[in-house]
Amino acid sequence: MTFDFAIVLKFQHALLLGLWTTLKLTLICILLGCILGFLVALARTSKNAILRGPSSVYVEFFRGTPVLVQLFWIFFCLPLVLGVELSNMASGVIALTLYMGAISSETFRASLKSVGREQLDACVALGLSPWARTANVVLPQAVLRAAPTLLSNCISLFKESALVSAVGMADLMFVGQNISNNTARPIEVLTAVALIYFVIAFPLTRAVTVIEQRILKRLAV
Amino acid sequence: MSDTAPLVKIEGLHKSYGGVVKVLQGLDIEMKAGDRVVVIGPSGGGKSTLLRVLMGLEQIDRGSVGFGGKPYICANGNGKTTIDAKVRRSIGMVFQHYTLFPHLDVIGNLILAPMKVRGEKKAEAEARAMALLTRFGLAQKAKAYPAQLSGGQKQRVAIARALMLDPKLMLFDEVTSALDPELVAEVEQVILQLAQQQMPMVIVTHDMWFAKNIASRVIFCAGGVVVEDGPPEQVLGSPKEERTREFIERVFHIKH
Amino acid sequence: MNYSFDFASVFRNFGPLWDGLLVTVELTIAANAIGLTLGFGLALLVMSRFAVIRLPVTLFIEFFRCTPAIIQIVWFFYCVPMLFNVFLGSVTMGILALGLNLAAFNAEAYRASIQAVPREQLDAGVALGLNPFQRILYIVLPTAVRNSMPVLLTNGIGIFQQSALVAIVAVQDLMYQGKTLATQTYRPIETFTIVALFYFAVSFPVSQVVGYLERRREALAS
Repeated sequence: MTFDFAIVLKFQHALLLGLWTTLKLTLICILLGCILGFLVALARTSKNAILRGPSSVYVEFFRGTPVLVQLFWIFFCLPLVLGVELSNMASGVIALTLYMGAISSETFRASLKSVGREQLDACVALGLSPWARTANVVLPQAVLRAAPTLLSNCISLFKESALVSAVGMADLMFVGQNISNNTARPIEVLTAVALIYFVIAFPLTRAVTVIEQRILKRLAV
Repeated sequence: MSDTAPLVKIEGLHKSYGGVVKVLQGLDIEMKAGDRVVVIGPSGGGKSTLLRVLMGLEQIDRGSVGFGGKPYICANGNGKTTIDAKVRRSIGMVFQHYTLFPHLDVIGNLILAPMKVRGEKKAEAEARAMALLTRFGLAQKAKAYPAQLSGGQKQRVAIARALMLDPKLMLFDEVTSALDPELVAEVEQVILQLAQQQMPMVIVTHDMWFAKNIASRVIFCAGGVVVEDGPPEQVLGSPKEERTREFIERVFHIKH
Repeated sequence: MNYSFDFASVFRNFGPLWDGLLVTVELTIAANAIGLTLGFGLALLVMSRFAVIRLPVTLFIEFFRCTPAIIQIVWFFYCVPMLFNVFLGSVTMGILALGLNLAAFNAEAYRASIQAVPREQLDAGVALGLNPFQRILYIVLPTAVRNSMPVLLTNGIGIFQQSALVAIVAVQDLMYQGKTLATQTYRPIETFTIVALFYFAVSFPVSQVVGYLERRREALAS
């Protein structure tokens, strides 16, 4: 059996286009998903049961079902429910944003909880208003503590985004599979695609470790 | 506020956790503006709870606290406690575990409350903060983060942070208990310095040497009530009450 | 919305969905068997003193952790038969692909918890005269397994969800049966909703158990 990795280079333009779609989709969903996740975390920790109930159901449901099923539901069912056509990109953004919102809300929730009671006592002793307490003491510490896990969530999202290929979105995975099928060279092409994902995700996972150590050092009081 | 009115007037203070664990069972304490009160007593005797109540951190079951002749804390009888936030702002507290804000550097810790509570300008607050830090020998640590400080330094920063709001009363809750022995002195020095400037204070401590040196008055608290209250020579030296004597003998390891 | 619901037509085809669920559960259990055992072995190898062992194992683990599961599965199904000239039946292939993926993630969990066993514990083992093998067996292993339990369970239930990916390479699991049924009955909403509920009904209780274990550990630690 002979390998011909040069074949990958012939399709580099198509692969780059696919990568661009993957990155665009990932970045948009990271941004929207983090905002959603933070709001949901606040709702889940609120004293109001009307906010707490639905937000908990949302998070548990999206964490308790395969992303692939979520994706299929959004692609094939949501247009029927809403009665409007959704572009592939729109469906992809909706599905992955909801996924990112669910996992990042857990990250935010844990970090909000990690700001200790003693810190709040200190705020009272210093006469800080509830608003100043949230904005100047709780939020900055929560964001710092959330940062490494949030970055891990982003890496997960980047990897999960490959699922949109299963519903026909032309991302890196989809393009790779197409080339692989048309050239009958799956070993070269699929390996190359896997390497592209790896080259992006691996440095980020190292960054998570470094950031985590730095933040733990800073917050170790 | 007249000169004769007490600075702090605690009347019939009752406090329990969930109505089951009774921590304070009818405290009456009057404190004059010149007093430096040290509260001693066995663990679980209500010392720290008393300080937390004075700081307005706890709800109370019954009783009231007045400050500077005005009502400050009052139990409403329906389980709710009214705390006058304005009065609370004139009291400062230092905790056992420092409770510095880990995400802010030393100067950031000092200027947060003056800026947010009193609307002070940043430059102005920073100038006052630097003056305080210099006085406490911490000027070169202004840009350090709490995690980079020793326990003694953290506690001195915490004291400076409380002083930034010009409190009329300072509360110290076992501020040297978490420190390594060799770091205790530097923190106690700072508190003695404040005492010389006539800062009214209530101190909870297990350090009897320190209590003797700083107190103008010692209160022995046990079982949620005041057992003995008097000058340090009396309470620490020749206590009148049997329970006080037992406690003092145990902590000083005196055998008769 | 002018879509009239018809859950009955889905329930009439309950048989295939149930068969699919059984395949999914089979994939999950077998993959977990591989993941729990191979993962521990990999964790020991990755902490080896010898770079010749450490580096390839690290590369293996990181490669599985840093690429999408879907490409691992597609790669496995297309490339393994070509490279080694074997095809073991689609369910077996699915089990192997998912099992290797899980082993990589579990190895990380084991490694973290083995390294978290305090030094004093081992010193105490030496002081008590245990030999190195006994120290691993009686001190390191029990602590490591207990500490990594929540993560292992989370990973295990994660692979249950990831197993839906094998539908893409035509393994007849729950997801695959759902897809087929949705097309045959023209009832995507009902079908995919029920499929989602199936997955949820298995995942949710396990994630609650994990939450309970973690809360209990926090309570014991404080």
